Amino acid sequence: MAVKTIVTYPNPILKAPCPPAGAIDAAVAELIEDLVDTMHAGPGSVGVAAPQIGVSLRVCVIDVSKNRHGKENNHGLLLMINPEILARSGNSVMREGCMSVPDYTGDVERATDVTLRFTEPDGTLRQFDASGFEAVAIQHELDHLDGMLFLDRITSLKTGLFRRKSYK
Amino acid sequence: MNDCRKDNLAHFAVTIIGKDRPGIVADTSEVLFTLGCNVEDSSCTMLGGEFAMILIVSHEKPFSKKRLEGEFAAKNAGNGLSAFIRSLKEDEVCYHEPAGELCLVSVYGSDKPGIVYRITRELADRGVNITDLNTKLIGSPKEPVYVLVLEAALPQDLTVDDASRLLEKLKKELSVEISVRLITPVSL
Repeated sequence: MAVKTIVTYPNPILKAPCPPAGAIDAAVAELIEDLVDTMHAGPGSVGVAAPQIGVSLRVCVIDVSKNRHGKENNHGLLLMINPEILARSGNSVMREGCMSVPDYTGDVERATDVTLRFTEPDGTLRQFDASGFEAVAIQHELDHLDGMLFLDRITSLKTGLFRRKSYK
Repeated sequence: MNDCRKDNLAHFAVTIIGKDRPGIVADTSEVLFTLGCNVEDSSCTMLGGEFAMILIVSHEKPFSKKRLEGEFAAKNAGNGLSAFIRSLKEDEVCYHEPAGELCLVSVYGSDKPGIVYRITRELADRGVNITDLNTKLIGSPKEPVYVLVLEAALPQDLTVDDASRLLEKLKKELSVEISVRLITPVSL
């Protein structure tokens, strides 16, 4: 059990796709504990992915139940090994920030509903539909496992309302 | 970034504006790069047929405003771009970003004088700090529609519902639609 230092860009581990976790051994169990401790230590943090604490493996944790956007609609603490999004639908825009990219935020379009499948630490395969803020958090954390940052998905730095007119 | 360990740096606000064409950003940043200036923060956009650049730049001391003005005057001679440069004092460089919830206010309706003024005065009087603002005239010449979108940091004692109520009376007065929503970034 330990609170780890959050790795920040430009550390190259954040841009590298993570390999799947193999057997769920003591190392993976310890990694999950570290992720949970680190998430709880980050002010307002709702999720941490393994590469954010310097481990390139497809493991992440999420808990939006204490966040104002997620408290009404969530699946509690999720400990995810080799998570996959099987289906996505709908879209909405939220302004995201990331502990690995301090001092910057941007509007990102995400699916509103996702079907998620992952292995729990006890080996159980779990699948369910998530929506709203929990779905946003899932997509953000799973992006980390693919070497993607929210900076790769920003749709607009500011309000995205205005389509350019031509002035001739 | 707003750390204050910048004692060795001189900071300047640079504004460049001129008729839009390809190359304004390249020409401007070439001047800055050649001088050894860093662009610390910037916002550039088209306004009407003009292209406007606002930049905060820094250079290791000693470095004078005159040097910047001279280089821009030489580069921009005859190309229609105007440059304005201001030296920044220490308390302008070491700033605190507004705390509090961030909200987005959108206002739209038939064009008439006073939309920007009435909305922003109401917000300013309650201590709301505008961090970004865009306006646009859309619709047809026969039925011009004015659109104002702004982002603002609310003071601690003002909720997004309070802000919404604050602007409610202006809906009727100005015959415009007004909506206020929370856009405080989510930390993931």
